[in-house]
Amino acid sequence: MLHAFHERDGFVSEEAIGVVSQALCIPVADLYGTVTFYHHFAQHPPGRAVPRVCDGPVCRLFGSEAILGALRREGATPMPCSGRCDDCIPVLYGDRTLVGRSSATLEARPSPLPPPNPGGVTECVFGGIREPGRASFDGYRRTGGYAGLTSALRYGVPQDVVTVITDSGLAGRGGAGFPTGRKWQAVAEAPGEPKTIVCNADEGEPGCFKDRALLDHDPHAVIEGMIAAAYATGAARGFIYLRYEYPETMEILERAIREAEDADLLGENARGPGQPFHLLVRRGAGAYICGEETSLLNSLEGKHPFPRNRPPYPVTHGYEDLPTVVNNVETLASVGPILANGAEWYRGLGLLDHAGTKVISLSGDIARPGNYEVPLGLPLPTLLDDWAGGPGEGRTIQAVTMAGLSGGFLGPNELDVTLDEPGLRARGSFLGAGGVIVFDDTRDMVEVARQAMSFFAHESCGKCFPCRIGTTRLTERLAGDGGPSELAAWTEEITDIGDVMKSTSACGLGMAAPLITESLLRNFGDQVARHVDGGRE
Amino acid sequence: MSNPLEDMEKPDVIFCIGTNMTECHPVAATRLKRALAGGAKLIVADPRKIRLADISDVYLPLRVGSDVALLLGMGHVIVRDGLENTGFVEERTTNFEAVRDHLRQVDMGWVSEITGLPAADVERAARLYAGAERGALYYTLGITEHICGVDNVQSLCNLVLLTGHIGREGTGINPMRGQDNIQGAGDCGALPNNYAGFQPVDDPANQQKFKELYGREVSLERGMTKVTALERCGESVFGMIIDGENTLVSDPDRHHCERALKSLDHLVVIDIFLTETGELADVVLPATAWGETDGVCSNTERRVQRLRAAVPPAGESKPDWWIVSQIAQRLNIDGFEYESARDVFNELCAVSPIYNGLDWERIAEGEYHWPVPDKDHAGTPILHQGEFKNGRGILTVVSYRDPAETISAEYPVWLTTGRRLESYHTRTQTGRAQGIDYLLPEELLEIHPDDVATYGLEDGGWAKMASPRGEVIIRVRATDRSPPGTVFSSFAFDDVPVNVLTGSGYDPITHTAEMKVCPVRIEAAEAP
Amino acid sequence: MADRYTINLDGSDVAFADGETLYEIAERHRKEVPTLCYDPRLEAFGACRLCVVELEGARNPVASCTTLATPGMTVRTGTDKVERYRKTLLELVASENREIDVDPLAGHASQELKALVDRYEARTGRFQGRQSGASREDDANPFILRDYDLCISCNRCVRVCAEREGDYAISVKGRGFDTQITTEFSGPLEDSDCTFCGQCVHTCPTGALADRKALRHADVPGEIEKTRTICPYCGVGCSVDIMTKDDRIVGVQPAMDGPANLGALCVKGQFAYDFVQHEERLKTPLVRGDDGVLRPASWDDALDRAAEGFRRVERKHGPAAIFGVASGRAPHEAAYAMQKLMRAGWGLNHIDNCSRA
Repeated sequence: MLHAFHERDGFVSEEAIGVVSQALCIPVADLYGTVTFYHHFAQHPPGRAVPRVCDGPVCRLFGSEAILGALRREGATPMPCSGRCDDCIPVLYGDRTLVGRSSATLEARPSPLPPPNPGGVTECVFGGIREPGRASFDGYRRTGGYAGLTSALRYGVPQDVVTVITDSGLAGRGGAGFPTGRKWQAVAEAPGEPKTIVCNADEGEPGCFKDRALLDHDPHAVIEGMIAAAYATGAARGFIYLRYEYPETMEILERAIREAEDADLLGENARGPGQPFHLLVRRGAGAYICGEETSLLNSLEGKHPFPRNRPPYPVTHGYEDLPTVVNNVETLASVGPILANGAEWYRGLGLLDHAGTKVISLSGDIARPGNYEVPLGLPLPTLLDDWAGGPGEGRTIQAVTMAGLSGGFLGPNELDVTLDEPGLRARGSFLGAGGVIVFDDTRDMVEVARQAMSFFAHESCGKCFPCRIGTTRLTERLAGDGGPSELAAWTEEITDIGDVMKSTSACGLGMAAPLITESLLRNFGDQVARHVDGGRE
Repeated sequence: MSNPLEDMEKPDVIFCIGTNMTECHPVAATRLKRALAGGAKLIVADPRKIRLADISDVYLPLRVGSDVALLLGMGHVIVRDGLENTGFVEERTTNFEAVRDHLRQVDMGWVSEITGLPAADVERAARLYAGAERGALYYTLGITEHICGVDNVQSLCNLVLLTGHIGREGTGINPMRGQDNIQGAGDCGALPNNYAGFQPVDDPANQQKFKELYGREVSLERGMTKVTALERCGESVFGMIIDGENTLVSDPDRHHCERALKSLDHLVVIDIFLTETGELADVVLPATAWGETDGVCSNTERRVQRLRAAVPPAGESKPDWWIVSQIAQRLNIDGFEYESARDVFNELCAVSPIYNGLDWERIAEGEYHWPVPDKDHAGTPILHQGEFKNGRGILTVVSYRDPAETISAEYPVWLTTGRRLESYHTRTQTGRAQGIDYLLPEELLEIHPDDVATYGLEDGGWAKMASPRGEVIIRVRATDRSPPGTVFSSFAFDDVPVNVLTGSGYDPITHTAEMKVCPVRIEAAEAP
Repeated sequence: MADRYTINLDGSDVAFADGETLYEIAERHRKEVPTLCYDPRLEAFGACRLCVVELEGARNPVASCTTLATPGMTVRTGTDKVERYRKTLLELVASENREIDVDPLAGHASQELKALVDRYEARTGRFQGRQSGASREDDANPFILRDYDLCISCNRCVRVCAEREGDYAISVKGRGFDTQITTEFSGPLEDSDCTFCGQCVHTCPTGALADRKALRHADVPGEIEKTRTICPYCGVGCSVDIMTKDDRIVGVQPAMDGPANLGALCVKGQFAYDFVQHEERLKTPLVRGDDGVLRPASWDDALDRAAEGFRRVERKHGPAAIFGVASGRAPHEAAYAMQKLMRAGWGLNHIDNCSRA
């Protein structure tokens, strides 16, 4: 409802908050507080129409500040990474996204397709995405879509679907890596109706843009996965929680849902006669924390999007305190191909004993950025050098991030890893949602770290103390703005803050943010020393 | 209250009638709101759209003074649809058949006409309350301050007895007492019909008992009520002692009240301030105030608690009991040789069966609800468990009566009065608290915006409001909290003495004044 | 069966009830686990993270306030590691606050942060940087000081307003370090749904929300003494503590263990106490002179006059001409003495109180 007012008026007025408050029985003060939480809800005109320029870590490398400066007259404001790192720099005008490397070259163009797989390996989620017309219902169907779901609905029972997904080894592709089959099983068994399937499309992690590619070019794959989840768990309602920065994707999804409804794949008989599944798109309003599943659920319910305390988990107490599956876009997009090709097929896509594939969003100082579906266990250098063409001419790779920004940096001596969770966790990092940003040897890593930490500080929800204060203190120290001017004391403060954040934060944001400083100290001690010394003058 | 305050969090259906709880008993209201947060349903019957109405599931904006009609309608729905609790009615009540037959004859169209409520809303409320597992009823002066106050209460009792929502956790019939120790004044026997502990004066056994205790035979006849006494001032009543009550401002029909007190030969007033009433006295005696006085009070849930002095008395002020005892001693009345509040309280415990198990020391932590018949008794948070004190609960045939005065061409608007959150009674206390003025600087007449226009008034402007007894000038506030045709004000401010208007009639049994209904005329006025 | 309901707490097996959190169990065993966002009357929130304890098998320490005990858990509440985290957290909190030492008149819980910072010796001056919060000096209400420079965003005020009062007058706006306690549209409390019950003030652990009325007496010398009594207003009978300094009433605080109110109060009970020591109090008896004017008199004279008047009325009109009105505002002893005066004095039941009005 807030979005309706935001779109109509261009901002959320006090009157609008009053109306929504009455309609939804949410106290005015709470709703007002919640509106102020989101980055994109303007409370004054001109508000929504003002250009918003991505100043994420990749766009910063390619001139976002210049665009911001050039558009300053139009009242332009920065926005955090908006998921166009393979085709910079996005500028959001209301419901239109323009892209270009300078303010003069801004134009509307569709988001890039994943490049053809350079390794020639079998793909799961990208298996059909490059087929012409794939985004339409007919095109999807023609290229094999909905086959897995249809046969599952026709020839099996819900438990069969859970079993196949469990056996396939599919695990959450949003970062947490929880086994999808087990999650579905838990929701299927949990008491309470109606149950809900939520697709987490709040792709807020800087350097991640896979969900956008999947939803823009293969929306029915995600819908198919959601219907399968609904069938498997007995859920009657579903939501796609889409980040605010993808307005074009919103239209694509709404069209795809209408098509699926027209084909009776969604609606009153979606899971069989008299077994409904209704699907709605809900739009975020600019809050990274809403990618955290319990914040997302609070946001869906119109509550203040603080993360919830767990247990209980969403599988028993999710949307409206009822059993809920929350799955990432990529996870759900994997379901159709798995149902069509079988559990063994999917397991076999990975290398060694790793099951399946993972989309890596690769960007930054790299010749061919883009989304690459890699077999889990692929050596990182293969992706960077063989598949994506390595760094620019004459440059060397100084660092790559993992999990967007959340996994911190791998330094020049740490690139010999394989792309899978066990391998990366052994190096103090993690794969997460699969964003990899490359920084070549011209980059100031302390400044890169400052930008990253500033992002986390901006996105900290403000609930738990270690994250709220810690992200700010770390940002200040990386900016040379406060903190000891003696290296040992500086390092000790950074380390102590990092320790307490990693160990006591309430959610993944606060636990992950200090990986930035930890990996900075580990790999770039000399740059840190220069930074601290510089601060002494 | 039949049930303790903590039970307010336990019902699944709550029925509030004639109680503006969020303003008059705010802390009790917090418990009610927690019950709602836990899923309980709320029925609110009140002419004004009070805050409780905002959070209710069924809101019944009945015409002032039409409570009996509403309750008859609800009773009708219950017996018509067979929603009564048959087991309870059979085991624990009498006179069911008569009441049932009476209720069956009630016409819902008539209910709707008298109350101004859609019949469907009355039916919904009846079904909700009757269908509850634990239904609890709360009321305040909106029920009792009518000429038909007793009828109102009996109608509520009927509802409770029909549905069996009594004698169990989270149920009950619960009047919310308005003053910190009004319950206690009754407990102590400051009533014309009861000795301490609600022992009836017309029972010869009690007469004998107190003859031995007080050394003098006390009449078997009930005494006068205050209302009667005020009426007879200068005729048969010539001496009066008033403790801590600003009768002149708080009682209805101020002009009558002033004439009455002035006609006395002798008036003694005990108070902490020189009130308007004190100004009329022959002798004014300064009492110690709250915070200066050790003592005991009973709250609305019959919890007996200790008051403690924190600071020395102002000036030469003395505790009320000391003052009264000194007068008694000077009149050579025996039995007033008390040395402390403790002595007085322990005597009260000794002479009152419901207090027998208590003494000054035992109530230090405030954990007892009376009755506490002996020292081994844990107190009685919930009354009427298993059986009523007098055996069976009596269902009573009640009929509707119009208020003493009804609106007419000359006085076309209903005035109803009450309290506000920030003020208390006649503001002898809140009026002297720093900061309260910031929130509530002056008296306001709350009028529906349509009426503001009809009577040519302005929001924020001034109105003259008149009844057959007098008139006041008051500032206008337009608000849809008041329904069209009904206006509201409190009686807190002496410069807007609303009680010169009220007092059209009294309940024939309790002599409680009809403060809640008074036809008035309203017109624009110059600022005073 | 016994095993089903025990956990190992710092080396001892202890029983617990279904639904108990680790914090509640630790509290019961006097482990003194520190907290700032915890108020036993409120739903656990899990923000301050000071209550973290080590739980065997868990990768990280867990917040004990939000973790339900399950049979067989092994929990350590005070290891060097968690104690170190607690100190760091308190150093961080101290670094964002303008002031740690606040006057105890600020509120019931106002000393909690100070006490913990001192207990953990956390005034190290580390982690200096920007301070959060912005004081609302523009909110001129006479009761509640909103000095958000001292706010640590524990949300206790927001939660007590919602969960205990049911008023939902305040909320939290913004996010991250810019998180701020707010009313609807950031206006003053007077324009919000606030009823000035003062509950937010008395759960605030830092004095950011403070009893402005009581703080007027901050400079009065002397120790604060508390006297437990019952609120003088409506019939609910809330327990309060009168705060006095040198025989002066300087404030009222709710009694958190008050049986009728469980720590709740309303604007009257909380703030309307200064009638007691008001300059207009009656300080001496008054007797009406022959000229019709009320004048101060001695107790002896006044009591004689009071008694003599009744004697005269009785002689002239009989005992039935005398009537007593007891107060619903005075203690039992007043009402009992008054009714006894009427009955033992004149043998009649001419006594009433104002309960029917």
